[in-house]
Amino acid sequence: MKKLRIILADDHTVVRSGLRALLERHDNFEIVGEAESGRDVVALSASLHPDIVIMDVGMPLLNGIEATAALLKQSPSTRVVILSMYSDESYVMRSLKAGARGYLLKDSAAPDLISAIQAVSNGRSFFSPSIRQLLAEDYVRVLRQKGAVDSYELLSPREREIFQLLAEGKTNKEVAATLFISPYTVETHRGNILEKLGLHSAAELILYAVRKGIIH
Amino acid sequence: MDALPLPSSPFDWGRRIGPRAALVVGFTVLLVIMAVLALDSVRALREIEDTSAQIRHEDLVRERALRKIRSTVYESGNLLHEYSLGDPRQDSRKSYGAQLNDMREHVNDALENCLRGAPANLQDHLGKLAAELDSYWIAAQHTITDESRNQAHLHREALAQRTAVLTIATEVSNINELELQVAELDISKVYARSSHRLQDFSALAIGIGFLLAASTIVYVSRLERHAEEKYHESVRHGRELKELSRRLVDAQEQERHAISRDLHDHVGQSLAALLMDAQSLVDSNTISGPDRATVEKIKALAEECAEEVRNMALLLRPSMLDDLGLVAALEWQGREVSRRSGLIVDVVVDDFADNLSDEQKTCIYRVVQEALHNSAKHANARRVRVSVREVPNHVILSIEDDGIGFDPSRRRGMGILGMHERATRLEGEFVVDSSPGRGTRLRVDLPLTPTVHPGGVSP
Repeated sequence: MKKLRIILADDHTVVRSGLRALLERHDNFEIVGEAESGRDVVALSASLHPDIVIMDVGMPLLNGIEATAALLKQSPSTRVVILSMYSDESYVMRSLKAGARGYLLKDSAAPDLISAIQAVSNGRSFFSPSIRQLLAEDYVRVLRQKGAVDSYELLSPREREIFQLLAEGKTNKEVAATLFISPYTVETHRGNILEKLGLHSAAELILYAVRKGIIH
Repeated sequence: MDALPLPSSPFDWGRRIGPRAALVVGFTVLLVIMAVLALDSVRALREIEDTSAQIRHEDLVRERALRKIRSTVYESGNLLHEYSLGDPRQDSRKSYGAQLNDMREHVNDALENCLRGAPANLQDHLGKLAAELDSYWIAAQHTITDESRNQAHLHREALAQRTAVLTIATEVSNINELELQVAELDISKVYARSSHRLQDFSALAIGIGFLLAASTIVYVSRLERHAEEKYHESVRHGRELKELSRRLVDAQEQERHAISRDLHDHVGQSLAALLMDAQSLVDSNTISGPDRATVEKIKALAEECAEEVRNMALLLRPSMLDDLGLVAALEWQGREVSRRSGLIVDVVVDDFADNLSDEQKTCIYRVVQEALHNSAKHANARRVRVSVREVPNHVILSIEDDGIGFDPSRRRGMGILGMHERATRLEGEFVVDSSPGRGTRLRVDLPLTPTVHPGGVSP
């Protein structure tokens, strides 16, 4: 099996060495580079085109979120896992919007790092369990506080099916192939789903799915 | 322990009570002098008037008496003349003698009137007049009583004597007039003296008045200068206090920033690395049993520690403010408060470019933080609405809750003061609108191009 080529980006040497120690235990990971700043990791990715980048949020020169957006422009096939000190949804949302597919809390990254890398390399999203829990709790709390109807209830069974596949990171084409329908039908459903849930982007769709506990 | 006695300040004595007492004494003296002056003038005038009236009266009396003397003597002369022409009978002689005696009595009375209260100078002359009169009366008597042959001779003698009397009487009259002039001169002297005294006293009063006026002006202007100094001093103190509080806020913000960064960069990252290393140890499968349990315990502790550090760092300075901007930080703050207190927090952001200076972001963030804290802790609010919007050249933050409210004119806690301070030091406005039972509305209006203070928080 082909090894996954990984770049570690963190301005703290101790963290990089910790990550390296964790990853080097696994034979199917190869660490091809390390970067200490947002700019470094963008430049390095442009030349190495890694499969995975483990990206710290708080880096000098260019922060991890902006660096993610920049490097994905030059290396679209790369999957980014964000490492952050913060569990708040504003960070998660920004990271998703920038194109990251994994979001790990730095303190609890170690046990989940391998699962996260494997998930994103397969095109799925991955979030630290504590973040999933937090987002789900917030969602329920807001619903309760505002006495609002859970918008998810508005979706038809077919839409829920499509919603889940989209949330798992599948493209319209892949969804169409799975369900044996035309990509145009998928596109129509997608539009309806976003409207019913009050969402505007793929990133918001993924975050919504996490809140609802639909994806892990 | 005994309380220390208040030191008597020589400054106060010298500057306040001393001059004041001196002025009081001065004004009292001035008033006394003026009163004395007025009384003395009145008295002098009355004295002059009295003296003058008396002198005139005496003069008149004397003049009248002299006239009487003159006319009586003249009449007696006529009587003698008549007698000398008439027949010298015994009974007519007696009758003439009696008439003459009557006249003499009258003249003597008049002379006495004249002598009464006459000045010394006049008395000599009056004495001479009396002597001449005596001679005259004797001569006149002789004319009548003498039955001898030499009537005509005697009559002549008496007439000569009468002329002398009349001359002296005229002389006395002249002297009397002279005396009147002298007396009037005396009076004018008295008048002049009193007038001089009046002038002297007036000059003294004016002098004292000038002195008092001058010292009053000096005293008042010194007081004014003192008051002005005090005023400037208090203005300066106010400015210094403001500057100090500004620096205090800056220093506090810088300190928080620095501590937050240290916690995040050093403690937080080290803990994260420690956790990864611990995980490596677990993954390596080289340890088992109690050792493995110990490592798991270390991991759990470190995780707890890391969360603690993260929360502390966020409380000190939310990283979103620097990483993601004001809106993200406000939304996070809203969620945090909501999570902890159950308060429903709506953060509404309209037309907001999120390109404020670091100081402005910090100001708005801190005001919201404090306001949410108040709404949750003190106001018993159920719902809070935080809104940020941009109008030309201004950014307007408003925070409304549905809590119990308060009376802003009565109660102004440190929190409200702090918000006010933060807003005004960026040349913004801060308005509290609340009343008991009607919720609280806070409003901060910041100009978008404020004077940036050199001591501000660097990004």
